[in-house]
Amino acid sequence: MSSYYDEHDCSPLADGERPNHMLHLARLLIDGGYASDLDMEFENLFSGEKKAPPASKKVVEDLPKIPVSPADVSKNTQCPICRADFELGETMLQMPCNHHFHSSCINPWLERTNSCPVCRHELPTDDPDYEEYKRHKARKVQRDFELESLHDSMFG
Amino acid sequence: MANIAVARIKREFKEVVKSEEVAKCHIKVELVDDSFTSLRGEILGPPDTPYEGGTFILDIRIPETYPFNPPKVQFLTKIWHPNISSVTGAICLDILKDQWAAAMTLRTVLLSLQALLAAPEPDDPQDAVVARQYKETSDIFSQTARHWASNYASAPHREPVMDDKVAQLKNMGFDEHKARVALSTHNWDIEQAMENILS
Ligand SMILES: [Zn+2]
Ligand SMILES: [Zn+2]
Repeated sequence: MSSYYDEHDCSPLADGERPNHMLHLARLLIDGGYASDLDMEFENLFSGEKKAPPASKKVVEDLPKIPVSPADVSKNTQCPICRADFELGETMLQMPCNHHFHSSCINPWLERTNSCPVCRHELPTDDPDYEEYKRHKARKVQRDFELESLHDSMFG
Repeated sequence: MANIAVARIKREFKEVVKSEEVAKCHIKVELVDDSFTSLRGEILGPPDTPYEGGTFILDIRIPETYPFNPPKVQFLTKIWHPNISSVTGAICLDILKDQWAAAMTLRTVLLSLQALLAAPEPDDPQDAVVARQYKETSDIFSQTARHWASNYASAPHREPVMDDKVAQLKNMGFDEHKARVALSTHNWDIEQAMENILS
C-alpha cells in the first residue's frame, strides 16, 4: 500500500483535512498520459509472439529440491511436464507456487520463459526491461484504482 | 524425435483415450502413423452453436521440442469461424502460440478449440471476412456457419435457402465450393457472388 505516497512524495491526509481533488486528479492524468506512451512501448516489446524472458538463473538454482516421499508415490503424483509418476529416490524441484517437477523437465522450460507451466506464477528474470515492465504494470493497476476511487469520491 | 516428446505423447495418448470427454464422444485423438509425430484430432461441435452436432477433424503435428513448444494444429474440416481460416484451416488461438505452457496437453488443446467454437474472438481474427460478418450481421454469420457445418462436418441442422442458392450456381456450372465461398463472402447475394467468381 506504500507506493503511491512514496512515489509522489506527499503524505496521507491528517484527520479532518480535505483532499485537494483537482490537484490529485491532475497528477493522475499527467501520470497516466505519460504512462500510456510507456504502455505502448512496453506492449510492443513484450506482447505478441514474444514470450516473457527466461527465469533468473540464480533464482532457479536456489529453488528447493525435495526428495519424493512414499506418500507422493502412493498418490501417483505426476511431473506435469513429462507426465511420468514420481518415483522413490528421485528429487522434485519445488516452485514458489508449490508445483513440483523433475529438474530435468522444468529447467529447459525456465530457460525459455519465467512462469510456472501449470499456473503461470512468474519467477523474477535477469532482464531489466522486463522487470521494469512488470513494475510498470503493477503501478498501472494501482493508478486505475486511484482514478476510479477518486472519481467515485467526486461524483459518486 | 526427442525422447521426452515421444514418451509424453504416448502417456498423453493413454490418458486422453481414457478421459470422460472421449467416453462421451466429445473429443477423439488417433495416430496417423506409429511415429507419434502426426496425429488426427476430432471435436464435436458444441451445443447451442452453429457447429452443433458437427464433427470437425484436426491435423496435429508434434514438434521435436514438445512439450516446450505447442503442437501445430489446423482444421482439416472446412469451417466458417472468425478465428479459423476458411481457406487453410489455420487457427488463431493464443495457447497455440505465445500462451502455450508445457503442462498443457492434447486434451486441453482440443477442449480449448471446442471452447473457441462456442466463443469466437472477432477482435483477434484469423479470417477477416468472417470476423466482419460476425460483428456486422451476426444472423447471417450464424446461418452461414451452420450451412458450412451441415455440408462439411455432417451437422444435422441444414439451411435450406442457402443450400438452394449454392445448388443454383452449381447448376450453372460453377464449382460448388467456390460458389459457397463467394456466396458466404457476399452475404448470400447471388449476383455479387457471380460477379466475384467471374472477376
Ligand atoms: Zn518430468
Ligand atoms: Zn505453479
